[in-house]
Amino acid sequence: MTRQKLQISSLVLVGIITFGLPVVLRSPTYLHILILLYLYAYLTTSWNLVGGFAGVLPLGHAAFVGIGAYTSTILYLQYGISPWLGMIVGGVLAAIVGIIIGLPTFKMRGAYFALATIAFGEGIRVMVENIDYLGPFNLNGPRGLQIPPLNVGLTNLMFTNKEPYYYIILVMLVAVLALTYSISRSKLGYYLNAGGEEPEAAMSLGVNVARCKLIAMAMSSFLTALAGTFYAQFTLFIHPKSVISLDLSFEIAFIALIGGRGSIAGPVLGALLLRPVGDFSRIYFGATLPGLHLIIFGTVLVLVMIFQPRGLQEPLTRVYHKLLDRLIPVPAGTE
Amino acid sequence: MIYIVEDLINGILMGSIYGLTALGLTIIFGVLKVINFAHGSLLMVGMYVAYWAVSLSGLHPYLTLLLVVPVMYLFGYYLQDIVIKPIFKAERDVREPITVIIVTTGVWYILDNLTLLIFGPQYRSIQDNPLRGKMLEIGEMMISVPKLWGFFAAIITAGSVYWFLQKTRTGRAIRATSLDRDAASLMGIKQYRVYNIAFGIGTATAGIAGVTLVPFYNVFPTVGVLFDIKGFIIVVLGGLGSIGGAILGGIIIGVIESVGPQFMTATWTEAIVYGLFLLVLFAKPSGLFGVKYEW
Amino acid sequence: MKGRKISQNVFRGILVAICVCSLIFFAGTPSLAGPEVVKIGNIIPLSGPSASVGQQGKQVREMAVEEINAAGGIKSLGGAKLEMLYADSESKPEKGVAEAERFINTEGVHVLTGCWNSAVTYPTTAVAERYGIPFVVPVSVADKITEQGFKTVFRIAAKDSWWTRDQFAFLEDMEKEFNTKVKRLAFVYENGDWGKGFAGQWKELAKKGGYEVVLDEPYPSTATDLSPVVQKIKRARPDVLMLVSNAADAILLTNTLAEYKVKLKAIIASGGGHADPSFLEASGKNARYIFDIVEWETDVNKPGAKEANAKYKAKYGQNLTGEAVDAYLAMYVLKDALERAGSVDPAKIREALAATNLRGGPGMIVGYPAVEFDKTGQNKHAALVMVQINDIGKGIERITVWPKEARRAGYTPVFPMPEN
Repeated sequence: MTRQKLQISSLVLVGIITFGLPVVLRSPTYLHILILLYLYAYLTTSWNLVGGFAGVLPLGHAAFVGIGAYTSTILYLQYGISPWLGMIVGGVLAAIVGIIIGLPTFKMRGAYFALATIAFGEGIRVMVENIDYLGPFNLNGPRGLQIPPLNVGLTNLMFTNKEPYYYIILVMLVAVLALTYSISRSKLGYYLNAGGEEPEAAMSLGVNVARCKLIAMAMSSFLTALAGTFYAQFTLFIHPKSVISLDLSFEIAFIALIGGRGSIAGPVLGALLLRPVGDFSRIYFGATLPGLHLIIFGTVLVLVMIFQPRGLQEPLTRVYHKLLDRLIPVPAGTE
Repeated sequence: MIYIVEDLINGILMGSIYGLTALGLTIIFGVLKVINFAHGSLLMVGMYVAYWAVSLSGLHPYLTLLLVVPVMYLFGYYLQDIVIKPIFKAERDVREPITVIIVTTGVWYILDNLTLLIFGPQYRSIQDNPLRGKMLEIGEMMISVPKLWGFFAAIITAGSVYWFLQKTRTGRAIRATSLDRDAASLMGIKQYRVYNIAFGIGTATAGIAGVTLVPFYNVFPTVGVLFDIKGFIIVVLGGLGSIGGAILGGIIIGVIESVGPQFMTATWTEAIVYGLFLLVLFAKPSGLFGVKYEW
Repeated sequence: MKGRKISQNVFRGILVAICVCSLIFFAGTPSLAGPEVVKIGNIIPLSGPSASVGQQGKQVREMAVEEINAAGGIKSLGGAKLEMLYADSESKPEKGVAEAERFINTEGVHVLTGCWNSAVTYPTTAVAERYGIPFVVPVSVADKITEQGFKTVFRIAAKDSWWTRDQFAFLEDMEKEFNTKVKRLAFVYENGDWGKGFAGQWKELAKKGGYEVVLDEPYPSTATDLSPVVQKIKRARPDVLMLVSNAADAILLTNTLAEYKVKLKAIIASGGGHADPSFLEASGKNARYIFDIVEWETDVNKPGAKEANAKYKAKYGQNLTGEAVDAYLAMYVLKDALERAGSVDPAKIREALAATNLRGGPGMIVGYPAVEFDKTGQNKHAALVMVQINDIGKGIERITVWPKEARRAGYTPVFPMPEN
């Protein structure tokens, strides 16, 4: 068996396992944890299009989650429009906002860009908190919007049990991973990479760095907003502090950074590691030692950055390749 | 008319204190080129140190500066040395180490929650201190005395730091490193020692800011978060790395917060502050007094 | 030969008979041993901005459960003890929902309680409803919690529309009792779910009562400087100031109001931050004469109240608050329901809760006579008292002043505030 065949078949195996998991794992709590895990993996992979490929550090992505969540929820509650459609509308809206934000901010470097995205994220949150009615749309300010669990079914993206949610987010995750993979192999991917590392050199070669970054931003915000809708339909309650919070923006960015931004597996790995750490330390310690789970989270952040600043995907990829070497030794003279 | 003047004065006083809290941030950014997300937590630590110093000794709050300043300086110095320096070394060739931002965020989470764990979530404030609740009455206007003290503390601290950077050898070394760290180290300046000192100074100013706040503010584990975001806004407004800019930026924010509510609800002034922030970022990213950085 | 075979058969027959009988016996009768514990899941904020009140909620529940278990647990369940599981909601709705799911599905709790923050309670009760697990809400006041049409939600505290109604009723009574006219009202409230909810109702009540609203000011609870708000209050020259605040801003506002020597006839607060023990400690004398509306106060004229408070104070160093008492009572309501249900089946517990008519026992240290839930799960009898913060020689304390029947003997409320 060739190396490539082994890699593909292991990927297929992982696919079978993840798709088959709900059949074996019946506990709704574990499904819930996995659903949130996939959601975060999805969010960080979408973030990665800008934060990893374009080489900047956006810390306001929660705003797009919020746009997606609020758009589909308002359209559903007030006009009865299916969340699937609302999702697309939310995505388009988020993409537009993303471009508006990107236009002036991409001219800035590093730290300024990060601060600007923070300001945008918080600014949008403050506005949503203060506004009850935007024209005919009811935002309900800080009280948030609740979606009553009636009319369950596929058209309304609402289900009584967890399995359908599991599959939807899994499909979304696979799709976004595939998209990321194809972009990384495309011209856009190379332009972004060049533009991130050495913008002046890239521009001198005729690459329109600014335009590429905006395209990446638009895609990233669109995809992120889709997750917002999913989240709204999953928890059935949204309010500014839960969907447009700075904490969420930070968490998305940090998971990607710890996993290894710029790579495809990085964000997923980061989510796989950090989400369970956060969840389980809250479950086991939250009651007795309040705040301990955050201390653990912070410590993990610090340690990983000190020892593996490029993210954990680097050492893990090396281990993976070593494993492959062991299984399929490369014969001398070939490959 | 008199109302506007009264509000203006309150805004300037409170704003100078905001500027003081942001001073450390701008020093650290100017020299190390990193955004220190743990700055709010350092402020909180400074407040707790000041609080315990006053509660246990019964001294006038400003006298505790004798304890707070050295303690905070050393805390910052070693924080940089132990936690942040390794990352600098690892990312030697990157122009701006983004990973440091993450580390400082980790430090923020750790500090805030460790404090919660150890000291509990209660809101503390010092009951009997000579500054509490004192007001100066000039005609119909009332001016808060502890804020007045804070104003002077801010000006004196800013002035001292500025003098230090301009006139002393270490200060010049710091400035050289902030302009071009490679050239500076070629000239024999120990780059990492400079970083440590700068971080120590930044943290010490956070400690001073904590002392000014303790007489009239509550002390609790997450108090730093409130000043954190404001600090960034102030620093960008004033110009990253500019000391006068930090104080002035703080005053601008303070005035908006004080005068604004007379014309709208307090909740909208928050939005205005963010709007102003974005405006400055786009129009003049280097801020009002910042030097245009080529990075 | 034949004899042996017969005895062998008989022997086998008896063996089979014994087996069959034991099978019927064990399968037919329900387990005589009974469940050993009743699992109660408690979702409260143990970290984050409401950590202070969350911790108090945990402590008072522990105290109640210790008493209940020491007194023999649930007798109808064979002395089953109550086992308490806690989860930190961090005051975030999504965490509350996740923990509810975990408690129900992984831990197998029989009942849930929580979550203090109305924004967390609201969606979390939806989770309980989906699984049919009874949910007892001790404290969260948002009206909509019992207005969702759920069958499994039972709330002990009064709805917030009752709070605002009582605040205005109190004001009118004070005006009559002290012959002082109140015309101008100022509403200052935290810019969240709770504050905005109250303010909306206040505006209606003010219109009905013919008052003039001279200031309607929401403020961010995380503000670092509230002097602009205080200046606005001062310049609007209201007669009465009504507040909805969390602990940190309550302290800041009270101290700043004192600093700026704002003259008012009265300040009426809405519990929450003002009822937090940290508030009294941190504002001290500046809090004098403030009226606060709460479910309960330490000097309520009910047997057992003083003892319970003394016990809590000895253990945890602070007085009980109204909200803590709600949680304490909730545990006893659960005990009473479990006794009547005689089973840990959630549906039976739910029915028992719905039929509650608790009029006595160690939990009933509240000012009102009974706990009875109406069709929406709201405790019909939940009532509120108004206290005044004052120092009558024993240090700063909270003194019950209204309704008149509940007023502490020998105390006359100070209304309007003296000019000092």
